[in-house]
Amino acid sequence: MTTAKLVMKQVTKTYGDGDSTLSVLNKLDFKVNEGEFVAVLGPSGSGKSTFLSTAGALLSPTSGEILIDGESIADKNKAELTEFRLHKIGFMFQNAQLLPYLKVEEQLLLVARIAKLSPSEAKKRAAYLLKRLGIWERRNHYPEKLSGGEKQRVAIARAWMNNPAILFADEPTASLDFKRGKEVVQMLADEVKSEGKAAVMVTHDERMLEWCDRILYLQDGILVER
Amino acid sequence: MFLALRELRHSKARYALIMVIMLLVSFLVLFVTGLAKGLAYANVSAIENMPTNYYVVQGDAEHKFRRSQLNESNLKDVRAIVGNDNATPLGMQMSTITATDLDVKADVTFFAVDMTGPIAPKVVEGEAITNDTLGSVIVDRKLEESGIKIGSVISDQQTGLTFKVAGFVENNSYSHTPVVYINAQDWQELTQGVSQKGTTVHPASFNLIAVHATSDQATSLQTGLKGVDVITQKEAISSIPGYSEEQGSLLMMIAFLFVISAVVLAVFFYVITIQKTSQFGILKAMGTKTSYLAWSVLGQVLLLSVSSLVVSLLMIGGMTMILPESMPFQLNTPTLILTSSLFVGMSLIGSLISVLKVAKVDALEAIGRVGA
Repeated sequence: MTTAKLVMKQVTKTYGDGDSTLSVLNKLDFKVNEGEFVAVLGPSGSGKSTFLSTAGALLSPTSGEILIDGESIADKNKAELTEFRLHKIGFMFQNAQLLPYLKVEEQLLLVARIAKLSPSEAKKRAAYLLKRLGIWERRNHYPEKLSGGEKQRVAIARAWMNNPAILFADEPTASLDFKRGKEVVQMLADEVKSEGKAAVMVTHDERMLEWCDRILYLQDGILVER
Repeated sequence: MFLALRELRHSKARYALIMVIMLLVSFLVLFVTGLAKGLAYANVSAIENMPTNYYVVQGDAEHKFRRSQLNESNLKDVRAIVGNDNATPLGMQMSTITATDLDVKADVTFFAVDMTGPIAPKVVEGEAITNDTLGSVIVDRKLEESGIKIGSVISDQQTGLTFKVAGFVENNSYSHTPVVYINAQDWQELTQGVSQKGTTVHPASFNLIAVHATSDQATSLQTGLKGVDVITQKEAISSIPGYSEEQGSLLMMIAFLFVISAVVLAVFFYVITIQKTSQFGILKAMGTKTSYLAWSVLGQVLLLSVSSLVVSLLMIGGMTMILPESMPFQLNTPTLILTSSLFVGMSLIGSLISVLKVAKVDALEAIGRVGA
């Protein structure tokens, strides 16, 4: 049985007030099932960041409903949303955004610590993820010593660390060359399949789409297939 | 503390620099505090160590001991209220002494006291003198440094009177000069210039009356007696010439140092926090509570200020061991605790602005950012 990891129903996000309003998302419907890896494309300024922030429980929609792992996020306050993101959502950012003063393994352990996982369990999970992503040998390096591709692999591991229901990736290949970018996307896709999770990748790079199950375009505030 | 400690580990040079600044400032704070206390003690220890808590001075003397003059009838009035044993006269005069056979000239303050009363000197070496001993004095130990020993003969420069040193007391200074205790009979000679052999009894006069009294008794002294002021020990000390000026300027330095340490820390951590704004955004997006991040900043500040404080405490401890005896420096445990906690407190206040900044960072900043 496939369950929906992310459901967005009639989601609208409007900026400004009075006469000068701008609806970046306009009654957007979207659904991501378990094991699905969806790419969302759009030119810059099309509202990709707003879409990702809204779907990722960082920004409250003006109207509409969002369910993540079957749970509505509409009635949650800021602190509850923070807690929710910690356990249910994994994020990958542009340029990996690792903390410069943490070694690779500590990047993962930090997330586990914040989520109050037991240290031994956290160590085990970190080792498992780092080995799977082929960066176990680099576990005692600082990010500054890693290549761009390695950094993004650490970011993938960090995003999966707390066993989230869904992963959101914001332009994960932006700072990588084609070959490394492809590797990262491929790994992301593998992880989604093997962990039975879901992922949404926002990108403007059309060359990175061969492992995606579905490709959607953000246009005039809604997602369309082409 | 996970984040705080690892950041310290990674940026050692940066945090070492700020620690050095904190170390220097806290050292200076402790040093100036010790100096202020030491100077205060060297200034007024004779009064501070008196067991009496109130002093009766002449009404128009503006609380200044040496300006005041009282007589036997005042003493009788005071004793009528607080009892015979709780009031004792004190005469004081500043002078310069020389010592026979020694190349010494020293400024001293003569204290004329009742050698059986509550403020009689507590001799630590040599012999005590009585009210009947003529020409013998008890002197503060500080004079020992200039070569004066028990049995030495000192002479008052103004009157030419000579006294034999019978014993030493410790920590008895008045207005930075060592105190020389004499009895009432020698006081008569000293102040009225009558020959040492003369036995003429003059109506005794002295500067003030030291009183051991309850606050009720002090009030009735003030209301019952005309032409006198009743002041507390604290008031008496702060009206010693130069005392409040000296302490005031040192206190101002200490206050400035506290403010400086808070501002330096505030600026340092604020700049670092601004640098890390995007990191905080990322952490918040990943689900880190603001309180966790705020404690991380506070933890760093606490760690830096406490560890630099500990080092400077050790340095102060080492320094007091090599300081010369004559250096007025005194730091007791309550002062140390107060100064240290004030220092840490000011550091935390300085870091508040950074904590506010951290609280304001929005998780949204993590999305769509190209910069690091």
